[in-house]
Formats: sequence, structure tokens, C-alpha cells
Amino acid sequence: MLLMKQLGKVFHTGEVSTHALREVDLEVQEGDFVSVTGPSGSGKTTFLNIAGLLEVASSGLFLLDGENVNQQSDSQRSKMRNQKIGFIFQSFNLIPELNLFDNVDVPLRYRGFDAKERKRRIEQQLELVGLASRMKHLPSQLSGGQQQRVAIARALATSPRFLLADEPTGNLDSQMAQSVMALLEDINRQGTTIIMVTHDHGLAQRAKRQILIKDGRVSELTATLHEPLHIVSPSATEHSAKVAGV
Amino acid sequence: MFELGPIFRALLRQKVGAILIALQIALTLSIMVNAIFMMQQRSSQMARPSGLDEANLFYLSNTVFGQNYNHEAALADDLRLIRGIPGVVNATQINAIPLSGGGWSMGLQHKAGEGENSIGVAVYMVDDHGINTLGLELIAGENFQLTDIEWRPATSVSWPARAIVSQAMAESLYPGAYQSALGKTVYINQNEAVQISGIVKTLQAPWNGWDGVERSMLVPFQMETRNSRYIIRTEPGRRDELMPIIEKALAESDKNRIIRNVTSLEDTREDSYRSHNALNKILLLVIVILTLITAFGIVGLAMFSINRRRRQIGTRRALGATQLQVMRYFMLENFLISTLGVVIGAIAAVGLNIWLVSKFELAPLEPQLLVVGVLALYLVGQLAVFYPARKAAAISPATATRSV
Repeated sequence: MLLMKQLGKVFHTGEVSTHALREVDLEVQEGDFVSVTGPSGSGKTTFLNIAGLLEVASSGLFLLDGENVNQQSDSQRSKMRNQKIGFIFQSFNLIPELNLFDNVDVPLRYRGFDAKERKRRIEQQLELVGLASRMKHLPSQLSGGQQQRVAIARALATSPRFLLADEPTGNLDSQMAQSVMALLEDINRQGTTIIMVTHDHGLAQRAKRQILIKDGRVSELTATLHEPLHIVSPSATEHSAKVAGV
Repeated sequence: MFELGPIFRALLRQKVGAILIALQIALTLSIMVNAIFMMQQRSSQMARPSGLDEANLFYLSNTVFGQNYNHEAALADDLRLIRGIPGVVNATQINAIPLSGGGWSMGLQHKAGEGENSIGVAVYMVDDHGINTLGLELIAGENFQLTDIEWRPATSVSWPARAIVSQAMAESLYPGAYQSALGKTVYINQNEAVQISGIVKTLQAPWNGWDGVERSMLVPFQMETRNSRYIIRTEPGRRDELMPIIEKALAESDKNRIIRNVTSLEDTREDSYRSHNALNKILLLVIVILTLITAFGIVGLAMFSINRRRRQIGTRRALGATQLQVMRYFMLENFLISTLGVVIGAIAAVGLNIWLVSKFELAPLEPQLLVVGVLALYLVGQLAVFYPARKAAAISPATATRSV
């Protein structure tokens, strides 16, 4: 489903070049639940941005469903994001001026669904996250956990095959975090592939696969239930073994 | 499909800036439309033909200071001299110059007697060369004959038996049937009978702001006066060359008078409409400044709004919005704000026009001008928001995941 080979990302600021990602080799299969951990500034967000087509890699190969996204236009990547990828953000990123219904409606309008279909999907997703009765409320009238549930509903409304979550529980208390994590696990069980960046090792360990990003390098911490074990660079393998205690 | 509903609902929750811009658009529209209307009215006034061959006409003042002066003989000598100069088409003595701002007016009435309704008319006293000199188009009747021309002593208050009127004057006397004025007798100075012997197509009065500016008449008089004017028509392209020649020839032919104020009709027209031109320029400047202020206001609000919503725009991009869709969002948002502005503005424009009509007797606003004004403001809005919208579209989708 997702294949990265020798992927790199370099940011240039004046004469300074920062290597955010180096020689990333990774394959994610349909139905995976991958948690991504790593220290601040390690490249987690850059990895997520590239995986979610929000940024373009500087080098290497990135195939999403067999399509080389590095060669696609901005418009093509936008459409691909809308059709295949759902996003969940740490700060929820709901649009404050819009009520829950209109917030969930945002990606559906970009997809071009008619009003009837949009309404059906919005109601279905808000029902799924338990907020159907509050669809006319504004985000500011909800708790953080409820806002994140709306964000999940919005991410799922377009029926993406691939869900990217950037610290989805980072702004939530532990009880809310558990609740959101349970919801993500449920979504994954229904077949949606999830990549989740998190600082919470407890939550990370609940994923089927765990990868660590450090200094821009990706290493696998656990073997997935799915074979084969994915290719990682030699130094990363060594590091991951230490972290995993194996 | 076009997100009008969500944009509208979002605007309702962030309405202060939008309402201020809408009010600015409304103010601009109401002032712009009325200002353009006033400009149009002035321009159409300036574009009215005087009926004269303006490009080839000039006139001069002849001020006599000699004692025991034979005015009648001197006039005949002067006109003979002028008409004999090569390049001169014709010349005549005249009491007033069209568009000059100074002249004579009288009233014509159908019936003799005091208290009868009379219609104001500008009076030009000319001889049988008058129509040809001025370049007027005679559309009915006939020109004055030499025998019609009367000598009018300085103290005379009587009027000649014949007159040629402009079509507008004939129409005022006989609405809907101006031709029937020909041969009719009307009364000037309440009781003096004048027969209309001819009708010219157009001859404007000396006063461009008068509502009867198209009403005028020619009477066959040569005047005894110490301050007379001669109006001279030249062959095309020779006016400027002949002006000093004729001035010099007249001055040298008789040392008992001064020739001065040699002026072309084109200069007179320019002087006549100087205030119109100046006001039009001021109004144009007001329109341009107001439009620019509005445009900058829209740019400012849009840029502020975009900077405030960078993460939101990044989120929309992350959720699948193309750059074009982001641009469209801001242009639609501006369209909605402009719609509020033009609706208020259109009402205000009509209100302002009603007030102007009642206060200054202007004509009512033409609806099509309002439509043009509305479209112009929409265009200004869309052009003004185009650059900010492009900036918004250029915001990276990665902004959604990064600190802004």
C-alpha cells in the first residue's frame, strides 16, 4: 500500500541544510496499524507529512497504491489526499466558525459528493463517534475529546483507506486518550490502515507495528503480525534492538 | 458544491470585518454611481452641438470712441473689408455669442397682451449673412432678405417683423409640430407681432446652464452701438491664420475704435464648460480614490483573514482542497461580502439620487448605470481579493501539522 525506498527530505534555510529524513525504507501493508515514536525534532512530523502527501520528499521513491507520488502535480496530490487519506491532528484542526456538520462536510465537498450523500455520510460518522445529537454545535462548545472525535469523523467521512494521526491524544487527558485510542483501534479492525505519531509509549505499544524515528532515520521496533518483516537500515536495526530490549 | 452555505455561515460568526468592508463597498457604490451620473450629465451637456461651425469661427469686439461716429457706414465698411479678405467665408455683426455666457433674452407668446404665457428665447441680432456666417442649417422657411434688415438705433426698443427660430423654440411654441411654426405670428415684448419666417436645426443660447439653451431666435437687425461684435467664418483650417490679419486690417482701417478680444468659438466653448470639466475631473478623482480605498480595504481584510487562518487553510489543503479550491473559497467569500455591500449600496445610491433630484433638480438615476456600478464593484472586489487568494492558495498543506 505504502512503499518508501531511500526516501530523504532536506530543508534549506539560507545556506543551512537540515536533513529531516535520511534513507527511509518502509513498507506499510493494507490493514496495518503503525505507531511512530521518536524524540522531538527527530523527523516524525516530516515523515507523517510526506506519508500524507502534505510535503514532497527531496529524494528517493515513494509509492502510494503503486503510484509514484513524487511525480504528481500539487492538484493530483490534493485529490489523492482527499480520496485515500484521512488526517487526525494533535490540535484537532477543526474550523472554529463552522458547526460540527459543516466541519465534517469540508472534505466531502472537495470530493464532489452531492448534498444527499454528504448528509448521509456526515450523520453516519457523527453517529459513529457519538456526537450526532450535537451536529449544530460549534467546536468551542465541545470538550477536547469530543473535538478529536469530530476530527476523526471528518477524517473517516470520505472513507479513506489510510488514516494518518499526528499525536491524536497529545492534547487529551488520559481517559480521553484511551477513548480515542480505542476508537482508532476499532477503525483499524474494520480495515483502515493507520499510521499514528505519538509520544505516548503506552499507546504506541498498542499498535500492530512500532517504528522509531531518530535523527531522521526510521527503524522498526517490532515485527508485525504480517510478514515479511520490513526492511530498515542496518544502524536503525541495531538501535531498534536496543530500544526494544531484544 | 461551491461552499456558499458554509462560507456564509462562517461569515456570520466573524461578521465585524465583513460588515465594515460591505459598508465601504456600499458607500463607494452609492457615491460612485451618482458621481458617474453627474459626470455623464455634464459630458452630455458638453457634447451638445451648438449648431455653429465652431472650428472655423472667431469673433472680435469693436469698441468705438470717436465722436460723431457714423456707425451705419462704419459697419458697412467693416463688413465689406472683412468679407473681402481671402479665406473669409462670411461675417456679420452680432449682439451675442453662443456659449459665451452673455446675451439677450426675450419671451415669445402666442397671443398679444400682458399676462399671456411667454416662452423664453435667446435673441441674436444678425443681418442676411448671419445664417451662412454661423454655419446654421436652415430646415424650413427662408433666410432674411437684404430688405428685411433694419437699422436699430441705440435707443430703440422695437422689434422687426420677421424672425428665424431654432427647431427647439418652434417645438416649444408648437409641441409635436414644430414645422407648423413657419409663417405663424407670435408676439415679442408682449405686443409686437413677429412672423416666423424660418427654422434652423440647432442654435444654442449663450448660457449653457439654462434649461432653454436650445431655444433661440435670429432677428434681422444691425445695431448702432459703441461696443459691437463681429463674428467671422473662415475657410476650414484658416481661422488661426486670419485672426491676427483681420484684427490688424480693422484696426488700421479706422483709428476711431479699438479691436480687441479676438477669440475663437472653440476657446469660448472651452471657457463655457471649464467648470463642467473641472467638476468632472474632481468627481473622477473621488471615484478613483474611493475605489482604491475600497480595493485596499478588501486586500487588507483578506490578507488579515488569511494570516489569521493559515492553519485552517493548511487543514483544508490537507483534507484535499486544491489550490484552485482555496482561491475559490476566498473569492466566493468576497463575492458574498460584495453582495451585501452592493445591495446596501444600491439602496443608498437610489436614496442619494432622490435627495439630489429634490435638492438640485437633477434627472433621476438611470437603472442601467446602477447595474454597471454593481458589476464594477463586484469586479473591483474580485480583482482586489485575487492576490490575497493566490497567497492563500500557496499556503502549504503541511501548515496543518506545524506550528504557525
